[in-house]
Amino acid sequence: MNVITNNNIKCTIALAVLQNVVDPEIGLNVVDLGLIYQIDFDETNSKIYVTMTLTTQFCPMGESITGAVRRVLENTFAGMELQLELTFNPPWSHERISGEGQRFLNQ
Amino acid sequence: MFSTDNNDNLVKNTSYKVVLPFYLYAAISFLVATILLLFSTSAFTQHYFNPKTLAITHTMALGWGTMIILGASHQLVPVLIEGRLYSNRLAYFSFVSAAVGIPLLVYGFYFFNMGWPAQWGAILINAAILTYLSNLVVSMVKSKKENVHAVFVFTAALWLLLTTLIGLALVCNFSDIILPNDSLHYLPLHAHIGMIGWFLLLVIGVGSRLIPMFLISKYSNTKLLWFIYTLINTGLLIFIILFLYFPETSFYFIPVTSILIALFLFGYYCYCSFKQRIRKQVDEQMKISLLSVMMMILPMILLITIIGGMLFQKINSPLVLVYGFVVFFGWITSMILGMTFKTLPFIVWNKVYHLKAGLGKTPNPKDLFSSKIFGVMWVVYLAGFVLFIIGIYLADTWLPKLATLFLLLAAVLYNWNVIKMLLHKSAIP
Repeated sequence: MNVITNNNIKCTIALAVLQNVVDPEIGLNVVDLGLIYQIDFDETNSKIYVTMTLTTQFCPMGESITGAVRRVLENTFAGMELQLELTFNPPWSHERISGEGQRFLNQ
Repeated sequence: MFSTDNNDNLVKNTSYKVVLPFYLYAAISFLVATILLLFSTSAFTQHYFNPKTLAITHTMALGWGTMIILGASHQLVPVLIEGRLYSNRLAYFSFVSAAVGIPLLVYGFYFFNMGWPAQWGAILINAAILTYLSNLVVSMVKSKKENVHAVFVFTAALWLLLTTLIGLALVCNFSDIILPNDSLHYLPLHAHIGMIGWFLLLVIGVGSRLIPMFLISKYSNTKLLWFIYTLINTGLLIFIILFLYFPETSFYFIPVTSILIALFLFGYYCYCSFKQRIRKQVDEQMKISLLSVMMMILPMILLITIIGGMLFQKINSPLVLVYGFVVFFGWITSMILGMTFKTLPFIVWNKVYHLKAGLGKTPNPKDLFSSKIFGVMWVVYLAGFVLFIIGIYLADTWLPKLATLFLLLAAVLYNWNVIKMLLHKSAIP
């Protein structure tokens, strides 16, 4: 679960609230699943740049998950505009799942 | 660092308004088929070419199997072709045309009125399939991406069209002689193009995408899928050529062997997906879907036995009936019973919570139906399925009736859960 950021404090807050966004099929949140690649904050232009992925490019819940990420971050960082980029390069792999996530999936 | 794409990478889901009517229609058809079965169990102790048997078979094959697969297929097209469905209107037309055509055809069979009801029913069903195929082709062309799963689905739709065209010819052949032989002669051709070309090919094409996806498996093997695709289509083409030009019974083992190898390879594909899954816990719906994959072997064993009997010029009618029953009430039904509760909760969840995710605690898709009723439905269904087979084979009269009551109860429970999902209201204000 390595998330690249230019602001450690705000990124920690962002990751904490993103733990409320759960992949409905897996039942695990997007942070522990390792779907979040990068979160950058541009204070000057009041923008948040999020780069994330999905477990599969053909995920039918993709719109719901990215929509939830957007809503959660825009609610938390009021006044900041979110720019969300979805990438599959590199694709998601199970190595990105956190220890907590691994324990959940191994239950 | 990351190659950032834009959000066009997201799968564009087909509207639930297109998909849900197919699911509802299929659920009702399952109920109707079991009711028809209850009033016609004696037909299953007679010859397989029987109006009541034909009516029930077509309710199951078209109203139940095909309608739910068409619904799921419209939903899954974006996932399979990596693009969006071309037209919702064509999908609506496809639904309405099939929804009107199927009862007309079934009515025609049940009362053996092969005049306008059956003929118009068959015409409308063909119109529905042609529309579905056109929608699929344009969606694929526009997506400009090609993958093995999409080719499976496209080829399956072509076989389905051929099946329904032959069906139309067979219906018309009852009133005007348009074929060299009577309709009964072509029944195996019509049935096997439908079962292998449509159902089997589609199930493998879609299943090979969904099973690893739902299991969150690391396994992928496109080469194996292409090989399975070749085996099934080659087997089916050989069967058609043999049937039309070389009806030597012993040769039928060639296509059967080809398809049997394909089934084992697909079983191996599912096994590898299962072994390499990331999530250890497998839910009940997936267990049932995987069980239905194993159940594919049962009709093949019966088919080999039937062909074996034909070598000695002996058609075992009860065995043919068991074979048909195992295909429609066994393999296809168990697969649908499992996959409905894997796909429909997501469609409904997306419909209700798509814009609310992240705003509060949402239920999981699996919470939208009663897992207790799902469990009871499965046990009751299995009991009915096994008892019915024993009843047909023993030519017993009361055992199939009792079995049908179990199947009817399974259909009621299935409908209860489906309607519960369709009526689900948001838990978030």
